[in-house]
Amino acid sequence: MRLDIRRSLMNDPWFLSGALLGLVLAFLAGAGPWLAQYNPHDMRFPPFTPPSSDHWLGINDGGMDIFSELLYGMRNTVWFGLATGVSALCIGVLVGMACAWFRGVTDQVLMRLAEILLAIPAVMILILAAAFFRPSSWMLSMVLAALSWPTIAKAVRAQALVVRKTLHIQAARQMGASGGYILLRHMVPELFPLYLIGFAAKARMAMFMEASLSFLGLFDPSRKSLGMMIRYALPYYYLDIWWNWLLPPIFCLTLLIMSVTFLAVSLEKVFDPRLKEAL
Amino acid sequence: MESVMRQKRKRIRRLPQVLAYGLAALAMLYASYSLPRWLPGDFVTAMYASSHVTLNAEQEAELRAYYTQQKRFGRYLADFFSLQWGYSYAFLSPVVRLIREALPWTLLLLGGAHLLSMCLGFLAGVEAAWRRGSALEKAGVGSMTFLEGIPEIGTAVILFLVFSLHLGWFPAAGSETVYLERSGAQRLLDVLHHLALPFLTLFLAYLPGNFLLSRGSMVMVLKAQFIETARAKGLPPLRIRYAHAARNALLPMVTRFGLRIAFMVTGALVVETIYAYPGLGTLLFNAIAVRDLPLIQGIVLFSSLVILLVNLALEFLYGWIDPRVKHAS
Amino acid sequence: MNVAMDHWSVIYREKEHALLALDQVGLHLFPGRITALVGESGSGKTTLGKSLMGLLPGSAETKGRIRLDGQEMAGADEAAWNKIRWSKIAMLFQNGPANLNPVHRVLDQVAEPLLQHALVSRAEATAEAEKALFRMKLSPDQIRRFPHELSGGEIQRALLAMTLILEPPMVILDEPTAALDAMTKGFVSRIILEARDQGKTILLITHDLDLAGKMADEAVVLYLGQVMETLPGKDLLVNPYHPYTLALGRSYPSMEMHRDLGGIRGDAFYRIAHRHPERNGAVRPHTHVIGAETAHEDGHLHPKGCLFQSRCTQSIPVCLEKGVPLMEAGHHRVRCLRGGIAVQLELQQVEKRYGNLTALGPTDLRLRAGETFCLVGETGSGKTTLAMIAAGILHPDQGHRRFEGRDMDHWIRESYRTLAGKIGVIYQNPADAVSHRFSVFDIVAEPLKIQKRYPDKESIRRRVLEVLSDVRLPTETAFLQRYPHELNMGALQRVCIARALVSGPTLLVADEPTSSLDPSVQAKVLKRILDLQIEKGLTLLFITHDLGVARKIGDRLGVLLAGKLVEAGPTAQVMRRPAHPYTALLIESARGQIPAASAGTNAPPVTGCPFAPTCHCAGKDCLTRFPETTRMEKDRRLVRCHYPLHSDSPGADPGASGSDEMKTGLGAG
Repeated sequence: MRLDIRRSLMNDPWFLSGALLGLVLAFLAGAGPWLAQYNPHDMRFPPFTPPSSDHWLGINDGGMDIFSELLYGMRNTVWFGLATGVSALCIGVLVGMACAWFRGVTDQVLMRLAEILLAIPAVMILILAAAFFRPSSWMLSMVLAALSWPTIAKAVRAQALVVRKTLHIQAARQMGASGGYILLRHMVPELFPLYLIGFAAKARMAMFMEASLSFLGLFDPSRKSLGMMIRYALPYYYLDIWWNWLLPPIFCLTLLIMSVTFLAVSLEKVFDPRLKEAL
Repeated sequence: MESVMRQKRKRIRRLPQVLAYGLAALAMLYASYSLPRWLPGDFVTAMYASSHVTLNAEQEAELRAYYTQQKRFGRYLADFFSLQWGYSYAFLSPVVRLIREALPWTLLLLGGAHLLSMCLGFLAGVEAAWRRGSALEKAGVGSMTFLEGIPEIGTAVILFLVFSLHLGWFPAAGSETVYLERSGAQRLLDVLHHLALPFLTLFLAYLPGNFLLSRGSMVMVLKAQFIETARAKGLPPLRIRYAHAARNALLPMVTRFGLRIAFMVTGALVVETIYAYPGLGTLLFNAIAVRDLPLIQGIVLFSSLVILLVNLALEFLYGWIDPRVKHAS
Repeated sequence: MNVAMDHWSVIYREKEHALLALDQVGLHLFPGRITALVGESGSGKTTLGKSLMGLLPGSAETKGRIRLDGQEMAGADEAAWNKIRWSKIAMLFQNGPANLNPVHRVLDQVAEPLLQHALVSRAEATAEAEKALFRMKLSPDQIRRFPHELSGGEIQRALLAMTLILEPPMVILDEPTAALDAMTKGFVSRIILEARDQGKTILLITHDLDLAGKMADEAVVLYLGQVMETLPGKDLLVNPYHPYTLALGRSYPSMEMHRDLGGIRGDAFYRIAHRHPERNGAVRPHTHVIGAETAHEDGHLHPKGCLFQSRCTQSIPVCLEKGVPLMEAGHHRVRCLRGGIAVQLELQQVEKRYGNLTALGPTDLRLRAGETFCLVGETGSGKTTLAMIAAGILHPDQGHRRFEGRDMDHWIRESYRTLAGKIGVIYQNPADAVSHRFSVFDIVAEPLKIQKRYPDKESIRRRVLEVLSDVRLPTETAFLQRYPHELNMGALQRVCIARALVSGPTLLVADEPTSSLDPSVQAKVLKRILDLQIEKGLTLLFITHDLGVARKIGDRLGVLLAGKLVEAGPTAQVMRRPAHPYTALLIESARGQIPAASAGTNAPPVTGCPFAPTCHCAGKDCLTRFPETTRMEKDRRLVRCHYPLHSDSPGADPGASGSDEMKTGLGAG
């Protein structure tokens, strides 16, 4: 079964392009500090300089090297997306499993909580929090994760309820396995497709949020971000500089989001029919 | 008699959901109410600090009083519902008025783009699923997936650069040309002219999601046994497609729509800002730039509650269109 | 509507293979008749139904003709089909509730065809639909509900109403009574019969042989896309000609039969048609049958010859070679090179006398390949004599014997050993049946040695081990070296069974094989014999005095009385409704009821019926004249009685119990 999943993934053009793109971008983001020639906060360069061999993308209005900015900005965006995705995933899986395993009061309480959280529009809370408390980007990432775990928890819970009734779990119980053992060795691995899909969806949303929020100026101004670059570049759209200052962050951001979207789409395509029949 | 009992039971079952929404609304109101108390340090100086706005002593005192008065939550609620939402010192106008001016524009843009993309996306998805496997369908799915990968920011900027800057076909900012007196029809045209790019941006941003979802759920529905029965009944293809299949494919779309709303609002925010479109988005952007707390609070609270209401309405809508939910627990 | 389907083939093209669903099927349906289409999953029944509606998927390739009332529909486009769908031909699909749209009300869905095909207003259509549903005993409240609110039985009735709403001249029903409770089943059956009486053409697709047997005028048996047999409906369970039909009947849990489920040996899932290069490089289109154990070089079963061959109990070498056409045989049409179920053994008017005592009067017996025939009777009735004659051990004084079509006496004279290898005998007392000087190995290997079937010691040994594992005995050397006195009776009897099987016989004669065993062991041994019979495709002649055992294992039952066969017929029918008073008496005493009078045969031989003195419905002629054999039509039963308890009179229809169900029907709502 796993073999033909791998095969269908490998054959899927979306998966391949998304994975390829993702790997390239991840590399750029990860190796950013080493690839960048200058410190992006360094403001001593002459502003509005067009690209040259020294500064591949030129220099922005504050005297900072755009290319370095770009690399650091990408890094931050990717980081934010990954951190939020992973956190939301962990919380969601924990809650979902707990609900499905313990049922009863735990299930009721947690699910009600999830419903309330679902009802609250995340972006508004983020804006409020960012505007007034100026939290670090880590904090914001955690806040976003805290607001987005409910969808994952619901999906995990639904599937876990089904898996719980399968024969091999009952057999393990008959053999004397403890709850923890069953959860760890049997249930967690079963729900693997859900993790991938959930993570991809949340990471995508988080990166999108990060770009939007930094565009709106809600992040720490000293933090480099693609959204922030766009925001500063936009007023100068009528100058020639738009193509090396405005476009690169747009381009990179688009590619980032695109790669995660493609991955998410292909994962859903491959795993979903099976999930659907189980749910 | 029996149906009356059933109605009662229906309403009772709906209670937990209504409760959840009610609680969420209350939580937000309370958070907003107690926000100033949580702000670090002296919030008055924090506000307006990085902006050009300066307050004279009197205004500062007013502001401080407004925020430090030990209003009770009940009083706060009463004020809220009677539309007393504070005063913006940056824009020198009551918050309510600012919101009321910006709201119609946002409704026009957001509402219109949503509606159009939903309708077109749904129809296109239905037709695509019907022609599953054809070159047209594959092209459609491919292009829509590709489009979905482009964030609103990207589309907005690109469209802006191409059509506004480069080609000059559309204006770069605003919702209508100011300082010009025009008659009704001309005004309408002018508005549309300004609306075009932001509308197109949002439309392109929302369309792929709707299309793919519609197509996906339609493909699932077409596999169902009762579709074959409908075909066997000799029904015309159009009827099978819409009265039977699409009708069932609609259900997951309604659910997903609710989940995506908050997501969509962010995008709208960004787009309005880029085009300097005078809706709530730009208002919020400007408010954040000057750290005008009352205005920010007002907008955030208002939009949150609207989103909550929309979600609640969607829940009821779903229950209405899916008879299985009506009678299930 | 007249339906003529000729040489209809359907192939489903998938990515690598092509699935052969129907292979040149011919079918003719007429108004006012119910035709049952019987077969297992993978036989192509549903594909055939869908072909008649034009509902095959786009990936299906078809060949052949379908004419509905003379109009050629094969290859017709969707528009042409749509004109006749539902109004001229309607289908009730499987999986009841899945056929209704969950978001439309039941009433609307039933009215929908009216709105589409007939030029009526919405109000008229709804009223009409409501009437139709009312006839199906659904209340106005129920029909305004949504599908998920109704029970399975209610939905099935609603679906039936929907199918019949346009009064189509042809109706296809796919498993209409599956998963239904008895009441609803009866109701649905009654509606179907009513439809038939109205002159509709009805195609009933089902795997429920009971239903098919009771309702169908004609039954068509499909196997892997080919028609194996067409026969009158009532013959389905009692007089099948094709071995597959017989095997199907045995596999089906039925209220009519008591026999334990048999199953069919081997299996086959579906047929694929593809081209792959043969070893000589040529590419030839051919078909393969995919089963669990396939035995061909490329992993497929042999493509030529009869499809059923690998699972058939009576296949002969030519079955592998030639393709088999459908051939006429009386009221039946059979696809079998042997003309249907072959007669394994035939005894005609065989007699045996010992001095003055007539052990066996002129008796006829016919054993069909693959069946189990139980011979019951009291001690001294001549059972053993008959069995031994059948096995070729005793020679009858008169009469003829034919085994597998050959004259047995002739065969015996020519080469007895070859005949001996084809008949295995199991005796009553295992201790007597073996030499105590022989070890287990010797006992089992003896027939092989005598008949010189295997050239060397090694192959003999292998064969012995093989057959020992068949009877579930150990194959270790230690066991092989044991002597009979070291084994218990059950094990010893199994050794004897192994011995009977070692030469690969086609007929097994078992003379009270379990009578001298403990009850717990009896069950095991009996079960083993039965399983082996199915696995090896043997014909079993089982002698017993125990009616309970006979009931459990026999396809047919024969009752011997004083050397004469007084009744023979399908076991369930004979047990339920014995025709001969003696049989009735035997059944009574088997049930533990003390018979009214003793049934001893100590009375001096009379010229008439030996049972007459004790028979309570004997007439004058019973004492003087022994009755001739009469054949009862219904279930092909043989009786020798002047005044049989049941006869072919109308009203004594074996299907009567079914119609009782139908008559009670359902109350309102």
